[in-house]
Amino acid sequence: MARKDFLDIASLSREEVDLLLDQATPFKELFTRSVKKVPTLKGKSVLMLFYEPSTRTLSSFEVAAKRLSADVIELDVPHSSVTKGETVKDTVDTLQAMRADYIVVRHKMSGLPQAIARQTRASVINAGDGSHAHPTQALLDAFTLKEVFPELSGRKVLIAGDILHSRVARSTSSLLLKLGVEVGFLGPGSLVPRSGPEGITRFTDFDEALRWGPDAVYLLRVQMERQEAQYFPSVHEYHQVYGVTQDRFARIQGEGTYIMHPGPVNRGVELCHEVMDYERSLINQQVENGIAARMAVLYWLKPQTDSEEAERE
Amino acid sequence: MLIKGGEIASEQGAPVRGDVLIEKGVITEVGESLKAPKGTEEVDATGKVVAPAMFDAHVHFREPGQEYKEDIVHGTEAAINGGVTGVVMMPNTSPAIDSAAVVRTVLEKAREVSRIPVYTSGCITKGRGGEELAGIDGMRNLGVVMLTDDGDPVANPAVLRNAMEYATPFGMFFASHCEVAELSGPRALNEGKVSYQLGIKGTPACSEEICMDRDIRLAHATGARVHIQHVSSAIGMETIRWWKERGARVTAEVSPHHLIFNEEDIGEYNTHYKMNPPLRTSEDNAALLEGLKEGVFDLIATDHAPHSEFEKAQDFVSAPNGITGLETALVSLHDRFIATGLVGWDLVVKRYSAEPRRMMGLEPVPIEEGRTADLIIFDPSGETTFSRDFMKSRSVNTPFLNQTLRGRVEMVLRGDEVLLQREAS
Repeated sequence: MARKDFLDIASLSREEVDLLLDQATPFKELFTRSVKKVPTLKGKSVLMLFYEPSTRTLSSFEVAAKRLSADVIELDVPHSSVTKGETVKDTVDTLQAMRADYIVVRHKMSGLPQAIARQTRASVINAGDGSHAHPTQALLDAFTLKEVFPELSGRKVLIAGDILHSRVARSTSSLLLKLGVEVGFLGPGSLVPRSGPEGITRFTDFDEALRWGPDAVYLLRVQMERQEAQYFPSVHEYHQVYGVTQDRFARIQGEGTYIMHPGPVNRGVELCHEVMDYERSLINQQVENGIAARMAVLYWLKPQTDSEEAERE
Repeated sequence: MLIKGGEIASEQGAPVRGDVLIEKGVITEVGESLKAPKGTEEVDATGKVVAPAMFDAHVHFREPGQEYKEDIVHGTEAAINGGVTGVVMMPNTSPAIDSAAVVRTVLEKAREVSRIPVYTSGCITKGRGGEELAGIDGMRNLGVVMLTDDGDPVANPAVLRNAMEYATPFGMFFASHCEVAELSGPRALNEGKVSYQLGIKGTPACSEEICMDRDIRLAHATGARVHIQHVSSAIGMETIRWWKERGARVTAEVSPHHLIFNEEDIGEYNTHYKMNPPLRTSEDNAALLEGLKEGVFDLIATDHAPHSEFEKAQDFVSAPNGITGLETALVSLHDRFIATGLVGWDLVVKRYSAEPRRMMGLEPVPIEEGRTADLIIFDPSGETTFSRDFMKSRSVNTPFLNQTLRGRVEMVLRGDEVLLQREAS
């Protein structure tokens, strides 16, 4: 049941999710050994195609691929060449000529990795497309939560912030729902879509959301650069109304609620700096688990580049 | 020519069996068991529908400027292929059709290459820029009656109002593509469940409804006549009904795709379901069909919008808006609505043949004695596969590509010229 591409969470079955989460565990155990590398993808090449700058996700994929012994090629792409007249077809033809087995794509256009995947034999991994999906982030988030709650079903996770523009909110909520987790969305009314997410409780009041009793609060990064209109009056007001202030942190600590964040954190916006030293902050664990989760995805996918060879023979 | 034994469709009621005798391009007799003069070609139309040919009041032929997508010769051949014998071009070409000079170029080209009449609308504002009025008198003198900046609304209501005050005394009318740009997403997609899932900022139906209401109010205040193009939502339909009940001079069109498809069909970013206004919900599909049956919509028009394959192969956000429609409209309406018993041929003849001609100030083409023949023979038990080979348009950006639907346009006859003769299926 291996797939060619890893593009979103919505199309994954529960069995596939469990398989990927199970697979990440042995990869993570590998990290504590002196030799952190396995020869699984020796001779295969992984092409990094990041049209949007991202140090964290890019290096996480790079480390994951290298620990599987793959060759990593980072393509130096002008950050918007696809929008500057070069069509997807042209890009794919160029990539095809490089004979990569895996292509890791990040782009600001929702749906671009899907368009590439349809036109190449290589396995395409979505490393974040517009506001649509960030499926490896969802996988590492679920893996991280499972480490503290081995039985996830029935747990409650509150995702807070700019839901409207967030691919992390979409993918992570979608995966958590598949695992039986209850999900709440919290944010300014202008940033939490009214129609759309099904089976998710919508909050616009932080205190009401905390009374709902979440086991973990997942804070999204406030992405000022992605906002084409003014959705809230100021960053200062955002912190007062929707940030983890010192008062709210005291309540969260009292309840023993876990804190998550996809990084990088805007201190003083999503959360006050005291939260960074909280013993129930899972933020650093998320980073480490990201490598294991991405290894599991690379290991699972089956590029069709081999069948191309077969055809030639 | 003697067309024998067909079911003759009209605006009034169910088709009636009969023969049609055509001499020198004119219908000379309609009735039962007609005898033709010796040597007359006979066509057996038993089990087939003989209907007035269709007329499409909303097509994009991309000429001048984007002939790689479509041009007048391919566009008009696509029309014939779909049983359509008259079209109204939209002026969002490059350069835009906003002056007598461009209108003349387009109409001369059409006379040279087209086998059916081609009409064109003209821009309201220069270059569709929304600021300065286009050369209205020059276009009027060349027969332009419809003014529109289709593809975009006239954003400034004062500009539209002045245009209405100015051009209405010339006997011209306005056609509105309705949307408030500031409320619309970056690309055409309904705001709702699917836009959330796909992670693309959607366009709420109210963006279209607010602009529609604004344009009808302006027309009502100035005495202008306004035609609302491609209505996509239930509340939009109700807005038009409300204004009609108050006597506003408003007509409206609905496109086959807004009747047949909805946002769920987009699936994983299929750009063949991307157009503006966007596909909305299944509730909107049902409301639009009710609006069509109840006469809120005066006409069906396709918004035939060809785009090349490399453009549509892009990601959903980058791909251009629009799908082709001329070749698929009649067969798809038959497949989804006539064959299923939801509507009759009378509705399709009225809304896709007679009313659009009336809106343009033309005579309809009923199958009656004394009329010039302008008709089609349609086989309801045949089928059509919309393959690349079948398509005459330069583009194939339609959700029906490679699908087989019930119904088949077998013959198109205009005057004494057989424009299309397909082998019987």
